[in-house]
Amino acid sequence: MEVKRERWSSRSLFIFAAIGSAIGLGNVWRFPYMCYEYGGGAFLFAWIVGLIILGIPWLMMEIGLGKYFQKGAPGVFAGIGKKWEWVGWWPVFVAFLIVSYYTVVMAWSLRYAVDSITMAWGKGAAAAEGAADYFFGNILEVSSGPTELGGQVWLTLLMLAIIWIIMYVVMFKGARVLGKVAFWTVLIPWALLVIIFIRGITLPGAVDGLNYYLSTDFSVLADGGVWFAAFSQVAFSLSVGMAGMYAYGSFMAKKSDVNNNAAIVTFSDSATAFFAGFAVFSVVGFFMNALSISAGEVTASGLGLAFITFPAAISMMPALNGLIGVAFFLCLFFLGIDSAFFLAHGGVAAPLRDKLGWSLKKSTIIVCVAGFLLGMLFTTKAGVYWLDMVDRAVSFYGLLITGIISCLLVGWVFGARKLREYLNETSDFKFGAWWDWVIKLVLPIAMTFVVIYGGFMVDIPNAYEGYQVGPFNGSHILWLILGVTLILSFVLGRMATKAPKEEE
Amino acid sequence: MTTVAIINTIIVWLFIIGGLAFCFSKLGKGGGWED
Repeated sequence: MEVKRERWSSRSLFIFAAIGSAIGLGNVWRFPYMCYEYGGGAFLFAWIVGLIILGIPWLMMEIGLGKYFQKGAPGVFAGIGKKWEWVGWWPVFVAFLIVSYYTVVMAWSLRYAVDSITMAWGKGAAAAEGAADYFFGNILEVSSGPTELGGQVWLTLLMLAIIWIIMYVVMFKGARVLGKVAFWTVLIPWALLVIIFIRGITLPGAVDGLNYYLSTDFSVLADGGVWFAAFSQVAFSLSVGMAGMYAYGSFMAKKSDVNNNAAIVTFSDSATAFFAGFAVFSVVGFFMNALSISAGEVTASGLGLAFITFPAAISMMPALNGLIGVAFFLCLFFLGIDSAFFLAHGGVAAPLRDKLGWSLKKSTIIVCVAGFLLGMLFTTKAGVYWLDMVDRAVSFYGLLITGIISCLLVGWVFGARKLREYLNETSDFKFGAWWDWVIKLVLPIAMTFVVIYGGFMVDIPNAYEGYQVGPFNGSHILWLILGVTLILSFVLGRMATKAPKEEE
Repeated sequence: MTTVAIINTIIVWLFIIGGLAFCFSKLGKGGGWED
């Protein structure tokens, strides 16, 4: 008996869920900084090129294959050829590792949202000093190195447990509920970003920040750095290479559009990132102005932006500090939660159901418990070191390398033309033969360039971030994580597939 | 804001909004919005 697969209840809810998966913390703490760092307008030009020739085609490929095979990533590649199933399992491990630490970052955001009410890291100019101490001392309680775990940070662990409970409650009902929740978890962070932008733009120095964000140096286009930055931003932002999009595509009905949906998701994600830059850099401009420092002296990306620069800037605002603090950290939380749903449900639980025949409820509870348990590594006092290494291993190398292999297999073994013609049959608009060559050549070459230029050239000659774990340095740990997940992918690929049970 | 910053802002929003307008103008041509 064929088991009915879970389905999106409408096209709009699929689009919201896919947009929610694409917009995430990187839209706030990565894109604006990359734009500022890599020549402003020049970066934007390279980014737009990347969106059109890489982002939309890659997204189409993953959603389209999921829809074609009606399976998650491993099932898709097993469908292309049983010997290729491991190619689908590798991004499943990428997704699992990412969600295990992503939820910890969300837990920090929740702690900051609560602490914003009292500005626990200090008020006024004192916060500029106090914010860093508060993050490392009170939130992370950071130890001296990755081998000194130092026990759990209990408040963060409590927040992590709450997050996984929320995720279970939403996920165990499947795609129908997920889409409805995504509607709100996409709109709420947008509303919060608008509040932060309005507050930011009314502060002294905000315009200086925007000028830094959007200044232009076209000479950098001749340099590989800006293309690396733009292509990697496109790859990281659209939630491709993390297995989930195959599953999200597999929840679509056979007659559904893919091409237009992929384009809508890409443009919506881009709009969020570009707008977030205005919110972020207006506040960064205010911070620079208040302390009379230059842009180069401000941490304007990553954890440093979110948990040090922003709290300090919020404390120094003349009014509405608590409100903006709560808005900003809830915004981070809501940006993150859709991506977490996507990774856990589409990236991990759906492939496990396809492979092991588990029910929706069973796969959801196992993924949530396992994600929480692994997350406990990142809520130790050495958690931030491990988070940094695992993040580099999976969300940079894992994502890109699996992406390269996937494109080559789809392009040359399954047939890019076959997939394009299938997608064009039911889509609102059609893509021409150029799309085939993007999948067969352009994407693999561009991603290989990113891996070599931004990865190997940095991490092979140097120990990643100077970490040392026993006889292994930071770079060894990266290769070890990639190697173990690759071996596990082969093992799972060799295992027999069990018939699925009733979903709902 | 500087002229360059304003021009960059306008160009990127034109690209994004134009792209979304194109997508929404094509909605339903291949199957319909609610399927």
